[in-house]
Amino acid sequence: MTESVPLTWEEVARVYGRKIYNFAYRLTGNGDDAADLVQEVLLRVRKGLASYQPGSFEGWLWRITRNAFLDDVRRRNRRPTAPIPEEVDRWELASAPSADVEYSRISLGDDVQKALLELPVEFREAVVLCDIVGLSYDEIARAVAVPVGTVRSRIHRGRRLLRESLT
Amino acid sequence: MTHPGELISAYLDGELSRSEIDQLFGHLAGCGRCAVEMQELQAVRSAVRSLPLLELPLGLVPEADAEVVPLHRNRGFLVGAAAAIVAVVIAVAAMVTPSTAAISVEELNSRYGARASLDPAFGPAKVILPQLMDTLE
Repeated sequence: MTESVPLTWEEVARVYGRKIYNFAYRLTGNGDDAADLVQEVLLRVRKGLASYQPGSFEGWLWRITRNAFLDDVRRRNRRPTAPIPEEVDRWELASAPSADVEYSRISLGDDVQKALLELPVEFREAVVLCDIVGLSYDEIARAVAVPVGTVRSRIHRGRRLLRESLT
Repeated sequence: MTHPGELISAYLDGELSRSEIDQLFGHLAGCGRCAVEMQELQAVRSAVRSLPLLELPLGLVPEADAEVVPLHRNRGFLVGAAAAIVAVVIAVAAMVTPSTAAISVEELNSRYGARASLDPAFGPAKVILPQLMDTLE
């Protein structure tokens, strides 16, 4: 999908600033960190627009955004993240939960935000890019630079871990 | 029995091919555990998508602050209009969707409504199902 490039940095800030902030907030769970990340991303966009080659602008933008986030995680390393666990089929370990499990309480946003922060970074960013930003699997694959099959796996495993946290 | 777990999440996101959908529903017809997992992952997905869209802190992106006033003033109209469009598209899509898909309007609404509600600019184009596209072209 080829998209037209916003003409100016100001337009990128105006159109995408709020989305970038929400992406950053859901990944960090912290308004100050999210604000810092937005400023860093827009700085990188401003520098990068001059050499931007027409193509998938959203793929380019979200690649910059997630790279800024990962750089921030590495630099500060104040929230060590869990390694990606080996795939475990929980069905084989425990009996299936009953179908009438009560889900109403997982609508509480604080619980959901907390559960997101407990996810390994790779799963968290995939789920947030899908469910908060609204990118397709192809767009996420371009942003994260992994195959679409990996995106599919990370989103699914991320949601399974969220389910365990929320129920 | 191999459970096609990843197909469930991808199905909820509208990311499966027709053959994969057939494969998934063929399995679901005989596997209660995966049917339950589909319900649970749908609930998880809806919960994440129901997180509120946060406003940018004033002054953080001055270029975006100018948008705040009209955004607030028009939000009710925009959200209402977007919801109405989404509802109509979903209703039509539900009618033209083969019954084997076994999707209720409520499920479609929860699946696509959240994305649309986050951003009025998220047009109804992505809500249109492939089957509906065929009838429109």
